[in-house]
Amino acid sequence: MLVPVFTLKLNHKILPRMVALGRYDGTHPCLTAATQAGKVFIHNPHARSQRVSANRLVLSAQDSDISLLNINEAVSCLTAGVLNPTLGYDSLLVGTQTSLLAYDVHNNADLFYEGVPDGANAVVLGTLGDISSPLAIIGGNCSLQGFNHEGKDLFWTVTGDNVRSLALCDFHGDGKNELLVGSDDFDIRVFKEDEIAAEISETEAVTALTPMCTCRFGYALSNGTVGVYDKMARYWRIKSKNQAVSIYAFDLNSDGVNELITGWSNGKVDARNDRTGEVIFKDNFASSIAGIVQGDYRMDGNTQLICCSVDGEVRGYLPGNQEMKGSFADSTAEQDLIRELSQKKQNLLLELRNYEENAKQVELNTQVTEMDGQRGVIPANTQLQTTLAVNLGSDTQSAHVELCISTSNDTIIRAALIFAEGIFEGESHVVHPNLQNVSSRIKVPLTPPKDVPVDLHIKAFVGYKNSMQFHVFELTRQLPRFAMYTLSKPDSAPEPRSFVKFTISERVQRVVMWVNQSFLLTEEMETQSTSFQVRFTSLRNAGQLCIKMNSSGEISIGTDDIDLAGDIIQSMTSFLAIEDLQVEADFPVYFEELRKALIKVDESYSVCQKLTTNMADSSNFIRSMLVRAEDSRLMGDMKNMKRRYMELYNLNKDLLSEYKIRCTNHTEFLNNLKAINQAIQRAGRLRVGKPKMQVIAACRDAIKNDNINMLFRIMRVGTASS
Amino acid sequence: MELSLTRVDYLQVGVTSQKTMKLLPTSGRKAMQKVVIGDQDGVVTCFGIKKGEPVPVFKTLPGEKIARLELGGALNTLQEKIFVASGSEVRGFTKRGKQFLSFDTNLTESIKAMYISGADLFLCASYIYNHYCDCKDQHYYLSGDKINDVLCLPVEKLSCITPVLACQDRVLRVLQGSDLLYEMEVPGPPSVLALNEGNGGDSGEDVLFGTSDGKIGLIQISAVSPAEKWKIENEKKRGGILCMDSFDIVGDGVKELLIGRDDGILEIYNFENANSPVLRHEYAFSESVTSVQGGCVGKEGYDEIITSTYSGWVSGLTTEPLHRECGSGDEVKMSHEMQNKILSLRNDLEHLQVKVLEEREKYQLNSQSSTAISTVPTFSINDKFTLNRDDASYSLVLEVQTAIDTVLLQCDVPIDLKDVDKNSAVVSVVDCESEPNGNFLLATYRCQANTTRLELKILSIEGRYGTLQAYVIPRVQPKTCQVQQYQIKPLSLHQRTHCIDPDRPMNTLTLKGQFSFAEVHSWVVFCLPEVPEKTPAGESISFYFQNTFLDTQLECTYRKGEGYFKSDNISTISILKDVLSKEATKRKINLSISCDINEASVNHTLKLIHPKLEYQLMLAKKVELIDALRELQTHEGNTDFLIPEYRNIVEEAEQLLKEHEKQPASLERLYGMITDLFIDKFKFKGTNVKTKVPLLLEILGSYDQDTLLAFFDSAA
Repeated sequence: MLVPVFTLKLNHKILPRMVALGRYDGTHPCLTAATQAGKVFIHNPHARSQRVSANRLVLSAQDSDISLLNINEAVSCLTAGVLNPTLGYDSLLVGTQTSLLAYDVHNNADLFYEGVPDGANAVVLGTLGDISSPLAIIGGNCSLQGFNHEGKDLFWTVTGDNVRSLALCDFHGDGKNELLVGSDDFDIRVFKEDEIAAEISETEAVTALTPMCTCRFGYALSNGTVGVYDKMARYWRIKSKNQAVSIYAFDLNSDGVNELITGWSNGKVDARNDRTGEVIFKDNFASSIAGIVQGDYRMDGNTQLICCSVDGEVRGYLPGNQEMKGSFADSTAEQDLIRELSQKKQNLLLELRNYEENAKQVELNTQVTEMDGQRGVIPANTQLQTTLAVNLGSDTQSAHVELCISTSNDTIIRAALIFAEGIFEGESHVVHPNLQNVSSRIKVPLTPPKDVPVDLHIKAFVGYKNSMQFHVFELTRQLPRFAMYTLSKPDSAPEPRSFVKFTISERVQRVVMWVNQSFLLTEEMETQSTSFQVRFTSLRNAGQLCIKMNSSGEISIGTDDIDLAGDIIQSMTSFLAIEDLQVEADFPVYFEELRKALIKVDESYSVCQKLTTNMADSSNFIRSMLVRAEDSRLMGDMKNMKRRYMELYNLNKDLLSEYKIRCTNHTEFLNNLKAINQAIQRAGRLRVGKPKMQVIAACRDAIKNDNINMLFRIMRVGTASS
Repeated sequence: MELSLTRVDYLQVGVTSQKTMKLLPTSGRKAMQKVVIGDQDGVVTCFGIKKGEPVPVFKTLPGEKIARLELGGALNTLQEKIFVASGSEVRGFTKRGKQFLSFDTNLTESIKAMYISGADLFLCASYIYNHYCDCKDQHYYLSGDKINDVLCLPVEKLSCITPVLACQDRVLRVLQGSDLLYEMEVPGPPSVLALNEGNGGDSGEDVLFGTSDGKIGLIQISAVSPAEKWKIENEKKRGGILCMDSFDIVGDGVKELLIGRDDGILEIYNFENANSPVLRHEYAFSESVTSVQGGCVGKEGYDEIITSTYSGWVSGLTTEPLHRECGSGDEVKMSHEMQNKILSLRNDLEHLQVKVLEEREKYQLNSQSSTAISTVPTFSINDKFTLNRDDASYSLVLEVQTAIDTVLLQCDVPIDLKDVDKNSAVVSVVDCESEPNGNFLLATYRCQANTTRLELKILSIEGRYGTLQAYVIPRVQPKTCQVQQYQIKPLSLHQRTHCIDPDRPMNTLTLKGQFSFAEVHSWVVFCLPEVPEKTPAGESISFYFQNTFLDTQLECTYRKGEGYFKSDNISTISILKDVLSKEATKRKINLSISCDINEASVNHTLKLIHPKLEYQLMLAKKVELIDALRELQTHEGNTDFLIPEYRNIVEEAEQLLKEHEKQPASLERLYGMITDLFIDKFKFKGTNVKTKVPLLLEILGSYDQDTLLAFFDSAA
């Protein structure tokens, strides 16, 4: 059993996920973490005497090992590492919702301070692709930005939603780092510099990512899942009722392969085998884990795994030595193995006994009576049937996809449990009719909020009305990706004005196959002709979707929903294995909204500028007013003093209300920025492969040059040049 | 002295009940003892250990489930005869496995508890106690509530037979012949009894008891009156006590106390400072510890604690140091025994797997036939649904012999689920707001691998009654599920007590009509927990209850044709009135219900609530301040500048947070109860004050006792 080699009690709270370890003087590792009140503390137990307070850095009054760094704003991310290779020591990077600070702790100086309007939710430091200098890459509101040590913005791109986590990992195994981005829209995207190399859909917001080794990385979701991917393939995942706060790759058992170390919100730390997810080590803290780092904190040449809890408890673990390999987790490993094997044996014996007893029963009687029903005896040929269909809804119920589960005879279904990810509030949905209404059929309404294929794991309890024991039928059905669209007549509603057009060299039959697979149709669609046309209506908002293909291979997708168009193109091209696709697109309504957003951004920006100047004026005014008021007080002119303090009070009120305006203005500004970032992303999603990157790059240029018309042109046709 | 114990698993039998494993005594000292155990398949297994391997001595054929196993023999000789109780029958075996006794008691109910002393046999079914001597009926006693355990003080020391019954209504009953000598109240429902140090101490009068809410104590049962020597509360909120033994495992000449609990914790207490025991050592098994005994089984010269667990594992915690040589190579040298064991297990597994596959196919084939039937394999669920006094919540414990896959909880009345730390299952609660089938709670618990025990906490609301159902699916093929039902009673937060404060202002509900004693008793059973289902003997009966949340009380006295219910809480009376009239209408019985309301009782109840409410409000306020104060602390570097009150908050922050976390819904529950009180007070006056509830909540928002009292007086 592994025991901590050192334990520290730092008298400071540590904010979750905001822990780093830096050698700010090139030799001594210092634990750095964000704490309350917009402060960052640096724990430096190694060089006790030789520190001075200056500039931002203040020695803590409580503890001489700790210095505090005032950020004066809530810290949202933090890391440390080599930003400027010529310096020979680490820099500290602190991100907030409005800025990124690169700080030279050793010299008490700012390296740079950049305003970042999209905010910095996550930060990672390292080299990316072919960019030679190390970059501090921050992920914010749909955007990714990379700064070098001069604060120069060398990397900029957009992604689908709010960035929650970042990691640099050699995803392709080519010796160059790719950027992994986990975001609020459940996706993990892999960026090869500014091009998207891969996208992996998960089931919840991706809260943490860590590189494990070449091609391999660990991830954590906000619903308590952690797991490991090897490229696009998931090795394993586990789900807990607690949340994984921090994940880290560290070789704890010295077998040459990194384990995935997870710090949980209930204070548990565990190390899991990267291939199997098997727990090889665990420990418990009194409070939630805040962060996990590694470093030679005792300065004895050995690297320790360092875990910090939110209450400031720090424990360092030395990796197990070679001899301990194999039986490292527990000294009674064999006992555990025996117990496990015996348990397995017991289970098999139990199963065997079940069959035996069943056979005995079968011999005894072959007629199912009421009495047997109570004990849960059912005809052996009972089968469970499931059908998925679209239900157009009624006055009391909105339109939905209906899963109908029924038995093949007079047995009843007492309850049905459906486990599926991403379509229910929790991980499951239960239908439990009351005793009067139990029947051999159960209907389950489903309304998937997103267009993703979902596996429905169904457990149905089958028996008789008065049974106290039931058979559990387990089966899995897949909900097609576009299940929330129902086939409608071509002339039922006006055709949508927006469309995407492109040409492919595929047979119509292949496209029809895709339609059959992706939509929920009552009967398979078939076509002999060289062209075809289908109309769908969305169950969510009755929006129209129209897919046409003519004999020359030109496909047109008509929908007002640009996200849907993107989803359809991505789904279709992956089905047809198309690598590059350029399209022509027009979304007049959406583009109009975007144009408004762009104008609003300009407006908000100028409002913000004006407010800032106003504020500066006011604060100057306050300063002079305060001096005058104090003068009056000193001269004993109470009347004037009172008047001036009254004025001061009013001014203060004005300032407060102005601050509120600034706040609302700022949120609006952020929302519009997000909309613009998302628009670029969406324009990209309408294309596949190279054209996709080109569109994103061109859009970026257009925005940089403030050329709105060019932006729309690019979104329509995919290129800037005509 | 530091105690280091190593766990060794010996053998697995079927599911075991409480107190069904014993070690056979040996004549010589320090010789190896044999283990005898009875399981719920009805099999008695006796085995010894040779070279780490269990060697069977004998094994009986399966039969009815074994409820108890005791050792006996002529007085002052070696107690090595084995007695098992199953159904209504007691059988006796010699240590070689030869059956020498088969005694059918002709009891209508099956035996729950058994004790043997020489030729005397003490048996208890649910409510009945019987004493036999040489299998001849001697004495009989009918207890007021269920009997959980029985023992008899050592006859050698006292020269008279003094049986002690542990009854569910928190009472130890001491008998003399067929008559009750006296009763003694204990802090919880006693679940197990044992003689102190195995022989009742020097006097032979010392009896240990353990309760189902996890408390233990020692009582001296003298001929005239009992005396409590010590008791230990269950501060760590551990499981109920299932078994106890006294054994000197440390080897210091003083016997330690061994305690096995239903949450798998085994505790060792010692008596360093003479009187009250101190917890020395504990070990966590993953499932209920059903029996425990100290002895020498695995290796000569090393004492160990032998336990049996719910799923039938017989394990030892041995003092034998585990020899582990970390060799020079990479492989740790596994001992030969170990390797052999693993190898043979793996072989067994392979064989079994093949066999199971065959059977599985057969089963599948079976499903093609139209005449065949398919049965559900039964599995036993060990469950416990109890009210906790300290936070007025129900805890539901489900234990299955194999790993649990999923549990579905369903309830038709509103209840709240509370998170339990011990429970690692992934919970998913289905939103029941617009649920068309009348469900108020639907939740799935998907358990992690190897979970055999699931613990849940539930908050109920008084007046909302219904059924809680748990559908348990174990991880066994073919997949099945079993339903367990639990009643949420109308007065679900009440608990039985034996004395109440007579000076409180009481409201009385009087019930009169043409009903029998049994009928009125069944209504009381329907309304209140912890009432024996059996109609009590005699013509009338009184039960006393206490509300675990508010500490208000209720007295029920009833006989044929009339019933009196007295409580200082007007809401309790109101709930009773509603439920009783509904029940009577259902059975078409003409009832006359009259209520005598004491105005002073409302203010009295409010005053009872006041300290709780104030405490909760203060706590909430303090917790709110913690973060801000801590921030100031980091800013200033110390807390010297704060006023003492705030400094205290910073210092006690941890404790406050813990306290706050423990009772997250307390404030809401208190508000709910005050609102009920308000509505009920005026309901009895015939006015509906529902419209004034928002005003009341506003007053509660800025709570002040006097304002609240004034509002209660003035409203209407």
